[in-house]
Amino acid sequence: MLKKGLVFAAAASLAVSAVSSAYAASGRDYISVVGSSTVYPFATTVAEQFGKTTKFKTPKIESTGSGGGMKLFCAASGVNSPDITNASRRIKYSEYEKCQKNGVKKITEVKIGYDGIVLANSKEVAPVAFSKKDIFLALAKDVPDPNGSEKLVANPYKTWKEVNPALPDVKIEVLGPPPTSGTRDAFVELAMEGGCKEIGWIKALKKKDQQQFKSVCHTVREDGAYVEAGENDNLIVQKLTANPKAFGIFGFSYLDQNGDKIQGSNVGGVSPTFENIAAGKYPVSRPLYFYVKNSHVGVVPGMAEFLQEFTSEKAWGADGYLSDKGLIPMPEAERKKFAADVKKLKPLVLTK
Amino acid sequence: MQSQKKETSMDKMNIGLAKRYRKERRFRLFGLAAVFASITFLGILFISIAANGWTAFQQSEILLDIHFDPAEFDVDNLSSANYGALVKNSMRSLFPEVKGRSDKRNLYRLTSSGAAYILQDMVMKDSGIIGSTKQIWLPADDEVDMFMKGYISRDVAESDRRLNDKQISWMDTLVAEKRLEKKLNTTFLTAGDSREPELAGIRGAVVGSLFTLAVTLLLSFPIGVATAVYLEEFAPRNKWTDLVEVNINNLSAVPSIVFGLLGLAVFLNVFGMPRSAPLVGGLVLTLMTLPTIIIASRAALKSVPPSIREAALGVGASKMQAITHHILPLALPGMMTGTIIGMAQALGETAPLLMIGMVAFIVDVPGSVIDPSTVLPVQIYLWADSPERAFVERTSAAIMVLLAFLISMNAIAVFLRRKCERRW
Amino acid sequence: MSPSFFLIVLLGLASFAYMQGKRRAFRLASSESDTTNLHSRPGYYGMLTALWCVLPALIIFSFWMMFSGTVLTTLALRTLPDAIQNIPQDQVNLLVNELHNLIAGHVAARDIDPVLQLAAEQYLGMERISRIALAVVMFAVALFFSTLIYRRITPRLRARNHVERIIQVGLMLCSGLAVLTTIGIVVSVMFESIRFFQHVPVTDFLFGLKWSPQMAMRADQAGSSGSFGAIPILAGTFMISGIALSVAVPIGLMSAIYLSEYAAPKVRSCAKPVMEILAGVPTVVYGFFAALVVAPFIRNSGEMLGLSVSSESALAAGLVMGVMIIPFISSLSDDVITAVPQAMRDGSYGLGATKSETIKNVIIPAALPGIVGGVLLAASRAIGETMIVVMAAGLSANLTANPLQAVTTVTVQIVTLLVGDQEFDSPKTLVAFALGLLLFLITLVLNVIALYVVRKYREEYE
Repeated sequence: MLKKGLVFAAAASLAVSAVSSAYAASGRDYISVVGSSTVYPFATTVAEQFGKTTKFKTPKIESTGSGGGMKLFCAASGVNSPDITNASRRIKYSEYEKCQKNGVKKITEVKIGYDGIVLANSKEVAPVAFSKKDIFLALAKDVPDPNGSEKLVANPYKTWKEVNPALPDVKIEVLGPPPTSGTRDAFVELAMEGGCKEIGWIKALKKKDQQQFKSVCHTVREDGAYVEAGENDNLIVQKLTANPKAFGIFGFSYLDQNGDKIQGSNVGGVSPTFENIAAGKYPVSRPLYFYVKNSHVGVVPGMAEFLQEFTSEKAWGADGYLSDKGLIPMPEAERKKFAADVKKLKPLVLTK
Repeated sequence: MQSQKKETSMDKMNIGLAKRYRKERRFRLFGLAAVFASITFLGILFISIAANGWTAFQQSEILLDIHFDPAEFDVDNLSSANYGALVKNSMRSLFPEVKGRSDKRNLYRLTSSGAAYILQDMVMKDSGIIGSTKQIWLPADDEVDMFMKGYISRDVAESDRRLNDKQISWMDTLVAEKRLEKKLNTTFLTAGDSREPELAGIRGAVVGSLFTLAVTLLLSFPIGVATAVYLEEFAPRNKWTDLVEVNINNLSAVPSIVFGLLGLAVFLNVFGMPRSAPLVGGLVLTLMTLPTIIIASRAALKSVPPSIREAALGVGASKMQAITHHILPLALPGMMTGTIIGMAQALGETAPLLMIGMVAFIVDVPGSVIDPSTVLPVQIYLWADSPERAFVERTSAAIMVLLAFLISMNAIAVFLRRKCERRW
Repeated sequence: MSPSFFLIVLLGLASFAYMQGKRRAFRLASSESDTTNLHSRPGYYGMLTALWCVLPALIIFSFWMMFSGTVLTTLALRTLPDAIQNIPQDQVNLLVNELHNLIAGHVAARDIDPVLQLAAEQYLGMERISRIALAVVMFAVALFFSTLIYRRITPRLRARNHVERIIQVGLMLCSGLAVLTTIGIVVSVMFESIRFFQHVPVTDFLFGLKWSPQMAMRADQAGSSGSFGAIPILAGTFMISGIALSVAVPIGLMSAIYLSEYAAPKVRSCAKPVMEILAGVPTVVYGFFAALVVAPFIRNSGEMLGLSVSSESALAAGLVMGVMIIPFISSLSDDVITAVPQAMRDGSYGLGATKSETIKNVIIPAALPGIVGGVLLAASRAIGETMIVVMAAGLSANLTANPLQAVTTVTVQIVTLLVGDQEFDSPKTLVAFALGLLLFLITLVLNVIALYVVRKYREEYE
C-alpha cells in the first residue's frame, strides 16, 4: 500500500515537473491584462469582441485592483509580465518611477472614459437631493462646530435632518467602499472635498496649510454612520433594497442595471443619468485608464489590433458597445486625442 | 426489616432508573436535533440557491428566418462578412413598420450580440448554406431573457426599465407568433466565460477546476499520507518532530490568501512558472490542504488499535510491513474523509488564487495544466460582482454545478469508505 | 527530445531494473517456491535496484532544471561584445528579457539586433548540447548504480532494510515540507512587514486601539500614528470565531455522537456525507447567504426586541461560519468515536450504565484528543476564513464586545488591502503583510499550547 503510494507520489511529481519543464521554453501567444476591478467589465467586453472577430486569442484579463496591477505591470518587461494594466486612477509618480527603474521605460497612457459614482437608495422611499456640503457634513470625521465658530468638532450629526432641515429625518447610514478602493478616493476627492470648499474658512485653509486642508476634507467618519461594506457593488445594491433607510456609494453601471430597485440621489442639483455624466454636469465622476507597455507592441501577437479595437468608435464611442455596459464616453475631441496617442504609442512622461 | 429496606433501595433505584432513562432519551433527542439542524440548514441553502438558479438552465431564443444573402459573402474570406447585418435584416423583415434610427437600434437589441457568431460558425462549418434561407433559433438578449423569466416587471415606470414599452410590445408580438420561447440553455454548460450573460458558460471554469484539483490531489494525498505515517509511526519524540507538528497545526490556521502570497513569491517569482495556470493553483492549494489531510490521516492512524500492530510485529513483520500491510488499509477510510474535506475546501477556494492570477476573464477553455484558466468558485465570485442582472441567476446556477461536483465527489468517497470501514 | 521525455524513459528503466532485480533474487533462491534462504522477499531486491536506478538520476535532473537556465543565460551574455556587458544591472535584465523573447520565438516583425540574434543562436546551441549531456549523464548514472546493486544482490543482502530506510527518509522529507512551507510564508511576508515597521513602530501596531488605514501616512500629520492599531481587528476575529465555535461545537459533537452511537447504519451512511457537503459549499455562497438572509433576519428580530442591531452584525457572520465548520468537528469526531474499542463500551454497559452515561463518561474521555484535534482544526478554519466575513461582517473596525455590532477580521483586512487600488508600497498596503505575520504568530502560540494540552491528556486505549 505504502509502496504503491510512494510510486504514485513519484510519478505525480515527475509528471508535474515534466509539465513545468515543458513550459520553460515556450512563450505566450495571448495578451495579458491586469488591474482595476472597475475597468474589468469594460476591458473584458473589448477582449471578448476582439477574440471573436479576429484571428488572435482572447486576451486574459485579471482583476487585481489598480495597485496590484501597477505593481505587476512595473515589475519587469518581457513575456512573464503583463502587457497592459487597467487603472481606476492615474498612475502615481512613485509607480512611474518604479516602472522606469525596472526597465519598463516607455508606457502609453490611455484614458478610456468616465465612471460616475452615485449615492443611491431604495425606490421604496422618496428620492433625495444632496448638496456637496451636505455630503461633507454628513460623512466627514470632523466638521465645523454647528454653532458657527471656526473650530472643528467630531461629527455630531446623527440624522440627515440635522445636517440640512430639507433632508429626511432618517439616521445617517451610508454603505460605501473601504479606504483602499479607488471609488472611495474619487468620491472623497470630488464630493467631500467639493463640499468642504463651500465652507469659507476651510477653503482659506487650503492656501495656508494644504496638508491640514486635505486631512479635514478627506477623512471619513468612523463612528458607524459610514459603513465600509466591501467592494462588491451588487451586494451593496441588495443590502439597500433590504434596508430602505440606508444609502450606498457605487459605480453608475450598477444603478443603470438596477433602475427598478434603486434610485440615484441628486448631487448639487444634478441627477446621475447617463446624459448628465457624459456632459460633465454631474459632479462625481472619475476617469478610467489603461497603460500599455510600448515595448510589447509588435512582440506579443495582437497587441496593436487590440489597442485599435479598444480605441475605436465602435467600442468607446458615444453609441459604442462599452456605453451599453455603463461606461461614460469621453467628449469626441478627447477620444480623438487618445486614439492618436495610441496609434503613435506616445510615451508617458511624468514629473514629480 | 431487611426485606423492606431492600425494597426501598430497589424503589429508589427504579426512580433513579426512570430519571436516567429520561436523561438518556433527552440526550438522544439532542443528538437527533443536532443532525437535523445541520441537514435542515443545508436544505434551506440548497433550496434558496436552486430557486434562484434553475432559470439559468433556460434561455430565451428568437426564431428568425435568416437569408444567407450571397451578396454579403466574399468566398475567399468568409469570416469578414457582416453577420450582424443578416440578423438585423431578418429582424427588420419581421417588423417592417419600425422606422427611425433609435427604434431600429432598440429592435436589434432584442437579439444577442452572440447571434452573429453563431451564424459565422454555421457558415464556416458549411459554406453551402450561402444563398439559402433558414429558420434558426438564435439567443435573445439578456434583458429580454430577464423579462421573459419575470425578473423585470411590466409595472415599473418605463424610465426605470432597461427595456422600453415598444420593445416589450415587439416581444409580445414575437411570443404570440411563437417566435420567442424559452429553450434549454446548452450554452451555459458548453461555452467559456463571456461578458454577455446569454453567451456565458462555465465549461472553461469547470475544466480549470478539474485540472487544478487533479494537481492538488496527485500531490497532496501521497505527501499528506506519507507525512502522517512518518509523524505517527516513525518520528522520534524530539524537538524536530515537535517543530513539524506545531508547524502543521499552524499552517491549517494560516488564512488562505497568505498561501497565495507564498505562491506568488515562490512559484511565480523564483521558479518562473506561468501566471494563471492550474498547475500553480494546484501547487498552492496543495500546500493549503496538506495540513487538513495530515491532521485527519494522523487521527485515522491513531485510531487503529495497537493490537493489530502488535499482532503483525508478533508474526515477524517489520515495522514498515506492519504499517503498509495492516495499519494503512485500516486507517484509509479516515484518511479519505480528511482528503475529501481538504479537496472540498480546495474546490471552493478563491482567495489564494487571486494572488497567482487566476481571478481572470478567460474565454478559451484550457487544454492543459499550464494554459491560463480560472476555476468555478472564482467564476462565481466574478459573476456575483457583475452589474448585469442576468448574471445573478447564472451565479446561482454555477453554484449548483459546483455543488453537483461536490456531491459526486462525496458519493465516491462514501462508496470507497463503505467498502473498508469497520468497527472494533 | 524534451526533458520530460527523459523522465518517462527513466521510469521505464526503473521498472526494467525492478524486474531484473527480482528475477535475480529468484535465481538465487533455493527453489522457485522456496525463497526462505533470502534475507528479504524477492520484491525488495527489485525495489532496491529500481530505487538506486531512479534516485541519483533524479537528483541530477532536478539540479539541471534549477540551474541550467541561469548558467546558459550567463554564457550567452558572455558572447556579447564587452561594451554591452558593462552596462548597468537593470539594463542587463532587459537584455536578458529580450534574449529570452528571441529564444522563445516571440519577436514578430521587429528589427532584431544581430548581436543579440547571435547570442540567441548560441544559447539554443548550448541548450541542445546541455540536454544531450544531461541525458548521457543521467542514464549513465542510472545504469551504473542499478548495475552496482544488481551485482551485489546475494541472499544475505539486507534489501528490505535498505528499502525501508530509503522510504523512511522519503517520509521524513515529506514531513519536512510543512516546515519549508512555513519558512516560505514567513520569508515572503517578512520583508514587506519590515518595510511596514519602518513606517509605523511595532508597539503602535501591536497595542494600538484604533484601526483606520484611511489616512495617508505623513510625518507632519497629527495623530496618524494611532491608526494602524491591530487590537480592534484581532478582537473582531476572535469574536466571530468564538460565535462560530459556540454554534459548531455543540451541534457538531452531538451529531457525531448521535451518528456513531445511536443512528441505524443506514441513517449514518446517508447523514454523514450529507453533512460533509456543508464543508464544501463555497464560502462565497455562505457569504451571500449570511449577508442577504441571516443578517436582515437578525436585524429585524433584534429591532422587534428593541435592540439596535447593525446590518452587518458579527452574529450573522459568526452563525453562518459556525454552520460551515460543523462538518470539521462532526466528521473527525465521528471517526475517533467510532474508533474507540467496542470492549470499552461493553464494559460500561456491563456495569449497568445507560448509553448516554457510557458516552459521557467513557467514550468522550477516550476520544477527547481526537475531538480536540477536530475542534482545533475547525477553529483554525474559522480564524482563516475570509469570504463570509468580507460579505457579511464588513470592514468597520469597532472595538466592542457586543455581537450585534459590526466588526472586522484580520483576513478581511488583508484581502481588501491587497486587492485595493492604492499604490503597492504605501503603508496602507504593506500593513496587510504585517497582519499576515501577526496572525501567523498568534496561531503559532495557540497551537503550541494545544499541542502541549493534547499530549498531556492523550491516552491509548485497547
